Amino acid sequence: MRKQNGVGWLFASPYLLYAILFFAIPLVWSFYLSTTDWNLISPEYNFKGITNYIDVFRSPGVQAALLVTFKFMAVFVPLVIVMSMIVAAIVHGLPKFKGIFLIGFFLPYLASGVVSSFIVKGLLSYNSPLNTTLRGKFGMDIDWLGSPFAALCVVAVIIAWKFTGYYALILTSGFESINAEIYEAAAIDGANAWQRFFKITLPLLYPAIYTVIILSIGVTFGIFTEVYQLTGGGPDYATNTWQMEIFTQAFKNLQAGYASAVAIVASVVTFLSIFVIRKLLEMWGKRNGWV
Amino acid sequence: MKYERGDIMKKKLNKVVSLVVAATVSVSVLAGCSKGDKKDSDKNGVTTIEFWAAPNPPQQAYWKEMAKEFEKENPKININVSAIKESPSSEASIQSAIAGKSAPTMSENINRGFAAQLAESKALVPLNEIEGWEDILTNRNMTETVEPWEFSDGNQYVLPIYSNPMLFGWRLDILKELGINEAPKTYSEMLEATKRLKAKYPDKFLWAKPDLADPTAWKRWFDFFMLYDAASEGNNFIEGNKLVADDKAGLQVLTFMDDLRKENAYLLKTVTDPFETGVGIFTDIGPWTLTYWEEKFPKMVYGETFTLAAPPVPDNMNTENVRTFADTKGLVIYASATDQQKHAAMKFISWVYSNPEHDLKWLEQTNLPPARDDLAENEAFTTFFSENPALQPYANAVPFGIPSIDNPKYNELQTFIGQHAVNPIVKGKNTPKNGWNDMKKAIEGGL
Repeated sequence: MRKQNGVGWLFASPYLLYAILFFAIPLVWSFYLSTTDWNLISPEYNFKGITNYIDVFRSPGVQAALLVTFKFMAVFVPLVIVMSMIVAAIVHGLPKFKGIFLIGFFLPYLASGVVSSFIVKGLLSYNSPLNTTLRGKFGMDIDWLGSPFAALCVVAVIIAWKFTGYYALILTSGFESINAEIYEAAAIDGANAWQRFFKITLPLLYPAIYTVIILSIGVTFGIFTEVYQLTGGGPDYATNTWQMEIFTQAFKNLQAGYASAVAIVASVVTFLSIFVIRKLLEMWGKRNGWV
Repeated sequence: MKYERGDIMKKKLNKVVSLVVAATVSVSVLAGCSKGDKKDSDKNGVTTIEFWAAPNPPQQAYWKEMAKEFEKENPKININVSAIKESPSSEASIQSAIAGKSAPTMSENINRGFAAQLAESKALVPLNEIEGWEDILTNRNMTETVEPWEFSDGNQYVLPIYSNPMLFGWRLDILKELGINEAPKTYSEMLEATKRLKAKYPDKFLWAKPDLADPTAWKRWFDFFMLYDAASEGNNFIEGNKLVADDKAGLQVLTFMDDLRKENAYLLKTVTDPFETGVGIFTDIGPWTLTYWEEKFPKMVYGETFTLAAPPVPDNMNTENVRTFADTKGLVIYASATDQQKHAAMKFISWVYSNPEHDLKWLEQTNLPPARDDLAENEAFTTFFSENPALQPYANAVPFGIPSIDNPKYNELQTFIGQHAVNPIVKGKNTPKNGWNDMKKAIEGGL
């Protein structure tokens, strides 16, 4: 038993070391910084106690980040689940070249956020063909990045586009693991398409959906590039995410100590949110007998 | 027997694992604790300095060329020129490098506000304390230019490279269609131009610029400060830790911006090349735009398609010698450099600026007016400007350029100008008087 433990530790040691160096030490360091007034470049670190944390809870930027993250979650998570589910279902139904199609859908995940944001900015420009047509043919003059809800939706859609292929990969593997005979048996028993989906597909796909939901919720806490490039957190904090707030405070306002406090609060909120959502998903699974 | 072999194997394995873990941890900890101490010079006595140039290809090309020529004459100094990374911004890259103890020896592209942040954190060398500083000022003929760059502690942390007074561009072709033959100079002339524009072209805008609704600090340099510097005749906005803004001028600017809004003069939506496509007929323009247009919009011809003018001023104000914001950037030496590197850097700077031809080359390659006192008189430059008439208005405006505020909190403070004054006013969400007062309150709180 002890020998097995030793081998286990041996195999785990590279990751443990990695985790200590790149997660544990920075976390402790970040917590220390959050109690100082360090400005990122000064050699001076003056102890401020919990002052930074008090300021965090009073900050309109942080309050916005908290709210905006949940708003993103409400738009992005259902959107990306539906989109990746559709892609996975289409790919699953293909007779050939499933891998090639999956790679195709996966490519946006590898695309640079800066480049995709730049392209989207051009597409949504006032004088783009899209907006010219909308104004000319339908009398619609939409301020895509200047109105709070539209800006939030634009960012959510870009990120959903980026992650759809990745999540579709996970869901496709879930689809592939469902035995076709179950559908045949259900069809013989007279189950229609909806019944087959809700009684067979959804329960058997539950582990994959669970994974995708948790991953996508994690994504909403880390949104930065698209917001930085497209809206800068605006208009009026409508797209001010946690990462945007941390960046603004640390690198623009040179308040690295305060930004560390924001980061610590953000990580606690992230942890709690994912914990609660996990529990809710498990309850959902158990209630329906899928787990 | 089997047990013994397993035991020995286990002991060996433990040893190997312990060694690997110990070595890795030691190396990592030592690397983490390293202060990144730099050697003064290599065994051949060659001092290497790292120079971060602006992320603008013509500037990089200029500095690489200068470094190459300098190295030929000074084989004991090696200059590595590379572009400042913009991930996610050049300021953030410099801050990260300083925090990570990997700052270069020197860099360019530093504005006064950012320099104030760096100087306050003792990240910069007071250039006036390094031997050769006075010679540079004399040789480059920039004694007067450098005066406003003195910081509150009496030191000079930045050597200004260029001083670029910002001007407003007007679509002259469209103005002429409206029956206006020259760029409006006063607020009422501009409002009249807006009325005529909206009457003839309801789909066009006077000022098509989403930045007006964006609180990002630096964006205020190119709208609010251009108008404020003109209206206040260059009155300071913040001095040290005190807000000294001219209330009358500030209110005039905001009221004017509000009047433009009432005339539906703004397009605040994201828009591509609005000035070039004629969606908007008025915008801030720097000399770099002219270089860009030569390649991308050759139909933009000075004196035909567009013209350049100083910012508009309130009615009844003198429309000559109008002040404007000057986008001025300079060169700094970082405190983390060794003494030998600092002196080598100073030698390089001194070499570059001892020859006016180098400044002329800079002007030719970048279109950015060198920060010199003799720009309007020195024949080397006057010939250049006569051959490049679109750049002449910039040279003329150099004496009227007002640099950015030098408060270390400039970013936060300028964000307040957007959040409380400019942004809500162009959107019609606040009155000029309330906006000005809200902004003052926020800035005074921030100071």
